[in-house]
Amino acid sequence: MIQLQKISRHYPVGFGKNYILKDIDLTINEGEFVSIMGPSGSGKSTLLHIMGLLEEPSEGQYLFEGERVDRMNEKKRTQLHRGSIGFVFQAYHLIDELTVYENIETPLLYKNIPASERKSRVADVLDRFNMVAKKDLFPNQLSGGQQQLVGIARAIVAEPRVILADEPTGNLHSDQAKVIMQLFKHLNEQDKITIVQVTHSDLNATYGNRIIQIRDGHIQS
Amino acid sequence: MMWRNYLKTAVRNLMKRKLYSVINITGLAAGIACFILLALYLRNEWTYDNFHAHAAELYRIRLDYGEKDQEVTHTALTPNGLAPVMKDFPELKYISRVYPSSSTVANGDKVMNEKRFIYADPAFFNMFSFPLIAGNAATVLNGPNMIVLSETMARKYFGSTDIVGKFLKINNKKEYQVTGVAADAPANTHLKFDFVASYASLGRQANWNSANDYTYVQLASNATATALQGRLANLVKEQMGSAARSGATLAFVPESVPGIHLHSIAGNSTERGGDIRYNYILTIIAALLLLIACINFMNLATARSAERGREIGVRKALGAIRGQLFWQFIAESTLITFCAMALGVILAIALLPAFNNLAGASLKLGTGSYHIYLWLTGIFLCTTLLAGTYPALFLSGFRPVQVLKGRVMPASGGSIRKSLVVFQFAASVFFIICTLVVGNQLKYIQHKKIGLDRSQVLVLSGENFTPQMLEAFKGRLLQQPGIKQVSASYDSPVSVEGGYSIAGLEGKPADYSMNITAIPVEKDYLQTMGISLLSGASLTDADIQDVLKEDKDRVYHFFLNETAVKQLGWTPEAAVGKRMVMNGRAGTVKGVMKDFHFTSMKSKIQPIIVFPEYEWFGEVLIKTSGDNQQQVIAGIEKAWKEYLPAVPFEYHFMNDDFNSLYKSEFRTGTILSTFSIVIILVSCLGLLGLAAFTAEQRTREVGIRKVLGASAASVVALLSKDFIKLVLVALCIASPFAWYVMHQWLESFAYHASLGAGTFLLAGCIAIVIALLTVSLQSVKAALMNPVKSLRSE
Repeated sequence: MIQLQKISRHYPVGFGKNYILKDIDLTINEGEFVSIMGPSGSGKSTLLHIMGLLEEPSEGQYLFEGERVDRMNEKKRTQLHRGSIGFVFQAYHLIDELTVYENIETPLLYKNIPASERKSRVADVLDRFNMVAKKDLFPNQLSGGQQQLVGIARAIVAEPRVILADEPTGNLHSDQAKVIMQLFKHLNEQDKITIVQVTHSDLNATYGNRIIQIRDGHIQS
Repeated sequence: MMWRNYLKTAVRNLMKRKLYSVINITGLAAGIACFILLALYLRNEWTYDNFHAHAAELYRIRLDYGEKDQEVTHTALTPNGLAPVMKDFPELKYISRVYPSSSTVANGDKVMNEKRFIYADPAFFNMFSFPLIAGNAATVLNGPNMIVLSETMARKYFGSTDIVGKFLKINNKKEYQVTGVAADAPANTHLKFDFVASYASLGRQANWNSANDYTYVQLASNATATALQGRLANLVKEQMGSAARSGATLAFVPESVPGIHLHSIAGNSTERGGDIRYNYILTIIAALLLLIACINFMNLATARSAERGREIGVRKALGAIRGQLFWQFIAESTLITFCAMALGVILAIALLPAFNNLAGASLKLGTGSYHIYLWLTGIFLCTTLLAGTYPALFLSGFRPVQVLKGRVMPASGGSIRKSLVVFQFAASVFFIICTLVVGNQLKYIQHKKIGLDRSQVLVLSGENFTPQMLEAFKGRLLQQPGIKQVSASYDSPVSVEGGYSIAGLEGKPADYSMNITAIPVEKDYLQTMGISLLSGASLTDADIQDVLKEDKDRVYHFFLNETAVKQLGWTPEAAVGKRMVMNGRAGTVKGVMKDFHFTSMKSKIQPIIVFPEYEWFGEVLIKTSGDNQQQVIAGIEKAWKEYLPAVPFEYHFMNDDFNSLYKSEFRTGTILSTFSIVIILVSCLGLLGLAAFTAEQRTREVGIRKVLGASAASVVALLSKDFIKLVLVALCIASPFAWYVMHQWLESFAYHASLGAGTFLLAGCIAIVIALLTVSLQSVKAALMNPVKSLRSE
């Protein structure tokens, strides 16, 4: 599903280059639950951003479902964002001015889904996450764990093929983290959604079925 | 669907950031309100006399005259003999003379002096589109002693408009029959009237010797103004061939009626014309106000980019394309503009009476015509696009990853923002300088010694006095305590307009002549006005007797001013006793007066002659001591009632006449200062917003500096420094422009205050102080904050 070939990412320092990622070769198959681990500054977040098309690689090729996407124009990239990729962020990144319901609805709006279908899909997700009672609250009225639930709900409402999660439990305490990780596992097993997460926690990594260690821009294992 | 989402976000954003919303909305509202008011005013100015159905075919004939090698005088007044000889011109469809003459109007006990009283030929209402409520336009003026009233006057004198056939007594003499009622003349015509009487009532013979009438014509459908002018040139040759000496200028020129208000160069018009330069200035002010308010909006929106960056990043990650974000931000500015628009319109309506007062206009915000809505929509769209497009493009162009990575966005767009702030403050400084210079000049005009003493001089109308009555009235007044001098003159001493020419000068060639301004006066004129003599003596009773003799035996006595004597090449001492003839009046020079201003300071002091002549006095001049004013005026009124019981008593001060010479300057002064203040306030609002933003952004830095031992004062200095730099740059940019424009303006006065560096320094200080006060509101707050708080929040 995701194929990275000789992917590098660097930025100029003086006359030379400072590599964040160097010659990454990585294939992730449909239905996998992959955890990317590594110390701070090892380049794991950059790798995730490249997978999510938020950042472009400096070198190398990226095939998403067999199609080259590393030099895609903004329009096509947006199509992938709308249909195939869902994001979950460490800092949740909910839109403060929108209610829970509206936050979840936003991706569907950008996808031009008709109102009736939007309504039923948001209702489904709310129901599934047991958040119906909170649908009219604003993000700042929720706890961190609840905000991250909304973040995940927002990521899956557009029915993506893959979810990219950047330290999804980084700001949460362990009980909340457990709920979130179980939810990911469930989504992976029941809904067959491919999941790639960046994490510091060995415990969290055990929820997945593959661990990629990254250090100084290289894949270790 | 999307729009609802956009609008929701926009509303919530507004509610959340109240300071920004208030700054944006009030700034824009102020800009819009001022724009509407100025636009109304300018529209009135630019549409003068456009409403006449035949506006394009209407012309007023101007008279140009001047002696050989001397300046040509342009006047709107023409001889009343002109109209009759033009009757057969194939180029003309209609001709009407207009003769204004303020008159006493009486209906039974209701007696009042009416200034807007004109006499006109029968074609008047056919030519001009002043609709009649009653009466037939073609016939209302076609016989003697017929009169048409404006609606307001009809109600004032009769309490109704159903008055055709009734009578009014004019000037205590003749009864005029009301033949029609006209709708009130609109504000945008140079021919504002309350009464139009038939020209035939004057019973005048057509003559070519004096020019006291306005001549209006309407061209036939196939004729051109050029053709008319050609025919008028021939006419001058035929009619005035003998008068037009070789080399002298004498011409009749048609001036388009819609152009009179702003473009006519003719003096003596029915209404003082508008000044096209002031209109340009006001147009610029209106545009600048709106622009500056829009700049506030742009600056605040882009300054907040860091804050909005995260939202933009998330939305992009969720699949928003740039276009969608663009429209989202446009929706936000639309919302703000809409609120501002509503508030602005309300403000404009509320301020309209005050503005009318300020501008001396009577504007209305007509809700009846669709124009106004078209207009408002136009302003609305312009503002939205102007204010919204740049931030929308700027914000929607963010790359999502930078913001989502948690990196703090640098406050980008800083240099554009700085340039915009500089622009705003340059405009503010420019107007501060203009306001100061105009104020200076007005003060200069008010305080300059003009060579005659206009203070405490009461002016009454002399129209109804015969010379004998006036003599008796004067004697009666002089007995009253508080009255120092009484005299009379043809027109106002501060605005003398009579054009004469002198010839037959002793010691000059026989064909030498010179155009000169002159004013017929009463014996004590020079003393009453405090005009001092350089040589010669003041008038004696014997001198007056010379003037009162039968025409052929009369001997005139002339007082020339210094300038006239100099132009004639005489010294003041040698001039006394010299013989001369002025328009048939033979006499000698009695004295030479020190120069005094008898017209606006816009023109240099010209030659003038003051001479006694007891034919007709327009003004009775009463010099009072200034004590017990009420009592003195009551005494004068009592005396007036004894001599002229049928004429209402009215008075004014000569100082008012003087000030009215500079009416448009005073008005410009007030308008300029008022709108300068608005421009400065709106600019400050923007600065306040930016300062708040900077203070907020640098909270952490300020916290760290304070922990490290920085004093509150040094923090204020740190936060204010950058803004002050911008204001200084603005000052440097604005000063040369202001100097140039104000230099030009001052040059339009022959006598003006100097334009020193002090004005610019003062303006700079004002701008810096205002900016400092604005900025320090925020920086002091930041400096006094407990550092622990700001650091903990990080």
